[in-house]
Amino acid sequence: MEEFDVIVVGGGITGAGTARDCALRGLKVLLIERDDIATGATGRNHGLLHSGARYAVTDRESAAECISENMILKKVARHCVDDTSGLFITLPEDDLGYQDTFVKACLAAGIKAEVIDPKEAIIMEPSVNPDIIGAVKVPDGGVDPFRLCSANIVDAKLHGAKVALRSEVVGFIMEGDTVKGVKVLDRSTRQVSEYYAQIVVNAAGIWGHHIASLAGVNIGMFPAKGALLIFAHRVNGMVINRCRKPANADILVPGDTVCVIGTTSTRVPYEECDNMVVTPEEVDLLLSEGALLAPCLAHTRILRGYAGVRPLVSADNDPSGRNISRGIVCLDHETRDGIRGFVSITGGKLMTYRLMAEMATDTVCRKLGVDAACETARAPLPGSDGGGLEETAKKIWDFPTMAQKASVGRFGSRAAHLDFEDDKSGVVCECEEVTVAEVDAAVERLDVCDLVDLRRRTRVGMGTCQGELCACRAAGRLAKATGRAAKAREDLKSFMRERWKGMYPIAWGETLREGSYTQWVYSEVLGLNED
Amino acid sequence: MQEKNLSFNNFEQCIKCTICTAYCPVVAVNPLYPGPKQAGPDGERLRLKNKFFFDENLKYCMNCKRCEVACPSGVKIADLIHSARRRFSRNIPDLRDRLLANTDLLGKVARPVAPVVNSIVSSKPVKAVMDVMMDIDKARAFPKYQRKGFVRWFKKEAADNQEAYSKKVVFFHGCSTEFQHPEVGKAFVRVMNAIGFGVKLVDEECCGVAMISNGLWNQARRHAEHNTRVFREVVTGEGLPVVAVSSTCAFTMRDEYPDVLDVDNSDVRDSITLAEKFIFEKVDSGEVRLAFKDDYRARIAYHCPCHNEKLGWGIFTKALVGMIPGVSLTILDSHCCGMAGTYGFKKENYKYSQEIGRPLFEQIRSLSPDFVCCECETCKWQIEMSTGYMVLNPIVILAEALDLEATAVANSVR
Amino acid sequence: MRSDTIIIGGGLSSLVCGIKLQKAGQRCLIVSAGQNALHFSSGAFGLLGKLPDGTAVKEPMRSLSFLPEEHPYSKIGVDKMAGYVSETPAFFESCGVRLHSAPIAGEGGFPANGYRLTPLGSLKPAWLAMEDVTLLQSKDNIPWSKALIVNFFGFLDFNSGFIAEGLSRRGVDCRVETVSIGDVENLRKNPTEMRSVGIARVMGKENNWKEFGSKVRKLSAGEDLVILPEVFGLGDPVIIQWLREMIPAEVMFVGTMPPSVPGIRTQMRLKKAFEVAGGTFLSGDTAVNPTVEDGYVTSIHTTNLGSISLDADNYVLASGHLFGKGLESTPSKVVEPVFGLDTDFPSDRKTWCDEDFFARQAYDGYGVVCDGSFRPFIGGKSVRNLFVIGSEVGGCDSLYEGSGAGVAIMTAMSVAGNILSGK
Repeated sequence: MEEFDVIVVGGGITGAGTARDCALRGLKVLLIERDDIATGATGRNHGLLHSGARYAVTDRESAAECISENMILKKVARHCVDDTSGLFITLPEDDLGYQDTFVKACLAAGIKAEVIDPKEAIIMEPSVNPDIIGAVKVPDGGVDPFRLCSANIVDAKLHGAKVALRSEVVGFIMEGDTVKGVKVLDRSTRQVSEYYAQIVVNAAGIWGHHIASLAGVNIGMFPAKGALLIFAHRVNGMVINRCRKPANADILVPGDTVCVIGTTSTRVPYEECDNMVVTPEEVDLLLSEGALLAPCLAHTRILRGYAGVRPLVSADNDPSGRNISRGIVCLDHETRDGIRGFVSITGGKLMTYRLMAEMATDTVCRKLGVDAACETARAPLPGSDGGGLEETAKKIWDFPTMAQKASVGRFGSRAAHLDFEDDKSGVVCECEEVTVAEVDAAVERLDVCDLVDLRRRTRVGMGTCQGELCACRAAGRLAKATGRAAKAREDLKSFMRERWKGMYPIAWGETLREGSYTQWVYSEVLGLNED
Repeated sequence: MQEKNLSFNNFEQCIKCTICTAYCPVVAVNPLYPGPKQAGPDGERLRLKNKFFFDENLKYCMNCKRCEVACPSGVKIADLIHSARRRFSRNIPDLRDRLLANTDLLGKVARPVAPVVNSIVSSKPVKAVMDVMMDIDKARAFPKYQRKGFVRWFKKEAADNQEAYSKKVVFFHGCSTEFQHPEVGKAFVRVMNAIGFGVKLVDEECCGVAMISNGLWNQARRHAEHNTRVFREVVTGEGLPVVAVSSTCAFTMRDEYPDVLDVDNSDVRDSITLAEKFIFEKVDSGEVRLAFKDDYRARIAYHCPCHNEKLGWGIFTKALVGMIPGVSLTILDSHCCGMAGTYGFKKENYKYSQEIGRPLFEQIRSLSPDFVCCECETCKWQIEMSTGYMVLNPIVILAEALDLEATAVANSVR
Repeated sequence: MRSDTIIIGGGLSSLVCGIKLQKAGQRCLIVSAGQNALHFSSGAFGLLGKLPDGTAVKEPMRSLSFLPEEHPYSKIGVDKMAGYVSETPAFFESCGVRLHSAPIAGEGGFPANGYRLTPLGSLKPAWLAMEDVTLLQSKDNIPWSKALIVNFFGFLDFNSGFIAEGLSRRGVDCRVETVSIGDVENLRKNPTEMRSVGIARVMGKENNWKEFGSKVRKLSAGEDLVILPEVFGLGDPVIIQWLREMIPAEVMFVGTMPPSVPGIRTQMRLKKAFEVAGGTFLSGDTAVNPTVEDGYVTSIHTTNLGSISLDADNYVLASGHLFGKGLESTPSKVVEPVFGLDTDFPSDRKTWCDEDFFARQAYDGYGVVCDGSFRPFIGGKSVRNLFVIGSEVGGCDSLYEGSGAGVAIMTAMSVAGNILSGK
């Protein structure tokens, strides 16, 4: 039985950021996650580095938070951020008058919004709808949530935090109205252990509703499903938004090798949060709206569809969830509910995770009487201390290979620690250029337990073939690294099922052809469906 | 609503089946080349993310198009590779590459002093100097330049007669006919005249294939624009076909102009053809009859050049040569000879070039034919140098095997 | 340009049909748009491994009567099936492809399914296997107790760990080793091109296979079974024989990730046999613009040959399922792109796929609607001189049933027979 200063529940970006912040302030931290890092809303959004412009008109406070965090992340999370800048476009069917309101609101929130000639916008971003009648340039960008989450956890661990993945909080240890710790089910061994801490931080996103209820506290969450589509390559260099009140499918974000259109917004029952599936109607909506932003989406291969659940805190009975503030909600349950030693941090968004973590950690420190300043707005994340991709790669190797370049994209300056010797230069995932070196390092150092985890750390299987070529190789390497071939074989099955889940909603044309080929390889050639 | 889940960006049709890699002759011998899948569709996705992912080793691609012929998904792999080189390569072609690329210029300079040049470039000390100074491999035999070019012969000996024919073709003779192998052009004129077609020359420029492979993109584009413009006048103006004797010239002018150089040739493309296809179509439709000599005898091995594999027109050569009564024709296995235009000249490629062609050379030696038939001049140079067997363009074989008088009569020419 | 029969597609069914017709004196032209599914062959052919209801099949010929009437095998009929099944090994032998069946035949001398060890250590039923592949008599009884699994150092497409795991589950004591040789190490310098075919090319050189063989021989002392990846004999299967003879244990070759070396070898040999018999094979060319008049195809064109019209008495469509692009899907339709033949599919795309990757997928059973002689329909009207063979034929889930190669070969033989007999 181990005692901690603080236990953070939830391995999404909020939990990871909070664990890091606490660790940087010298606290003894345990992070508990029931599955793997970034499995909830963290890994199921656009990956948009908001400038705040989207909220400037409707939610000034969020907008200001966004632009401030935007500028911080561009400095401290450099290898996770793609500084593309973004456009807010007005289409002939939109009200050009809104553009003025929009620009004024942006400027008032401190967001640099620059009206540009539509012709110039088309030159800057050739994929944009050529019919645009207005364009505003804003400092939007892309952020890779998996990378960001992983880097926060790495840094938390470097500062002494412990991380328990695949560990589910099944109950609280209470002394009267005081939380003393948590009961945790180890999902692999099915053992329940007890962990003690002075404060427990609930950072479990939408599932925070359940965690809070285990402590007898009610947080009214509003599960809002958002569906997105990934296209197989990057059609746009800049983020493209519709310059109107936020609506469906009006943001197209370039991210790594792909681009993402989203989202929809539908209220879903809380019980369905664990299993989100994209419907044909959502696919059709995303495609038709998306083609208005960038007409080439009408003939770009779709890689997969996915959906996440926004952890919004409900304020009224709005059935769409669009009007709920995306603002941060930090609840000290001692003052709110009379439960001591328990804090919930929720609402907010990927973009403001650092600020959320800071607020949660400030609350923890205040309660613990610890006087330590927050460092996270200044201290770069591990890997983000170098320059851009090319500069960083050339600093490490005189003549970096394709795979080495790709690994710098994923790990920043920490790619220097990868070992490409012996057989480790072999390429596992050809679409995304992931080598044995990365697979081995992820298994060794990044808490990877199965292939799906590996995908979140390395992009294995996130390319065009969706695992057809690489999953079996990666599983073989995982079997070798862990010495557990039977488990790796089962992992391979789960991985292929997980990949297919995103493919079958859009399975026609080349995607169905790819799926059919993959099924032939895995069922007929490899016999994975037999014993 | 999109119908096919498929991009106009052709690389996304790739479903990562890896078939292309099994047919790439370069991957088989040169570990520095990333291979067609990685250099083509996989690399393209990464390059769209960041041009830092461009790899200069794409230059090892010979542009033989075998990957494209094998691809079950219709991905234009080699086009992706060469268009990436065009967009991203920071390498500036050096003197050697510029010289090799300018097959026409080289010919014009070398011709007045052809005997001297021929003996110089075949002399050992000069080859050693070229090897060291120019990175042109010393083991390489140079094609010999002819003092009297094809065009000069045509103007002097043939041009006047051509007006007599009511039907005409435009002949794209190409650099090798002009500078090294005028006999191919002469054979073409004789055969065409015998089957009732007059030959017309136009102000052609080198097709530019060597400029494409050596990275002289702007020059290649200028040639493409020039030739396309010249063809447009005769194709759309006079309704004439443009007939080439080199499969590489024909292929480049049809497909590389639009796909790699972005030169729109859609109005003339279908009129650019190869002599064998042109003649076969006429024979097949009954418009033309061929009369062969009774006493022509030859054991011929046919090598289909890579670019003719891509065009899919090897069947016409097989059919025409197969029509010659005294010929025993063997079709060689489909292998690249390793030359790929100027690729095999380069010191850094010479070893690989020989290694790629090895199975072909071995098969030719084991068959021991009277000679090899092939529509491409650079395959000819490679095979002749590497095996010692003579290589003849099919039009030369036809000119030899046809009873030209009887053919002319059969086609009511005289 | 005239032929007796034009076949669209260049894979297994096309070549079997083309060789049969060509050998019977017809002039055939094959139009092949890129390479085909033989390149991902498992190294074995399945006839029928499972009935549509999921019952495992031990003796395919005895299970034919349980198949629905729209199944291609039912259309051919039991008697003709028996003839074609018996004829198949000799037919392939005559094309230079040696196939063998399970050690013991089933009732009436008809084939019983053997079992092929897969690259993930599973056992899959198979009817005939290529030279590399060993077929086991039963799933439960492995006749060896000690196995050595050898891989090339750094070769990721052959996972010895999974094979060892699969065999250990069946009571075989396994040991895993890796071997390097100079030319394979040279190949490894190229990080993406360490593939089965690359190694097979390297191993085609005599000094290399001899060096490899002697290294494995040394390692294999005291073993009953030696398992090697299927990366030998791309050009000439003699290497496989040589390794079998020089290694003092049973040698079993197990598949790799694609491309498939035995599959490509088979493709090359069949194509060669077709061309030696005088057939014309157009590689990398696509059939387009057919003319169909009064229920007869009168000509087709190809993208490479342009205006040249290709005509024949009979036409065979063997262009494959979705992979081969013999069928194409849109969000609402599954179409046959060359002739626009009638296809069988439900319009609601939600029903095309099962959400479980490993479950039976409905789309696998979609195909061209054919009559009993494999003649298709356009708008409900029969096309009299066009025949459909291979995976494009509707009426069966060949991936689920394990009948892909069987359907290809049986329909090809059946249609060749019909064309020759003038039916």
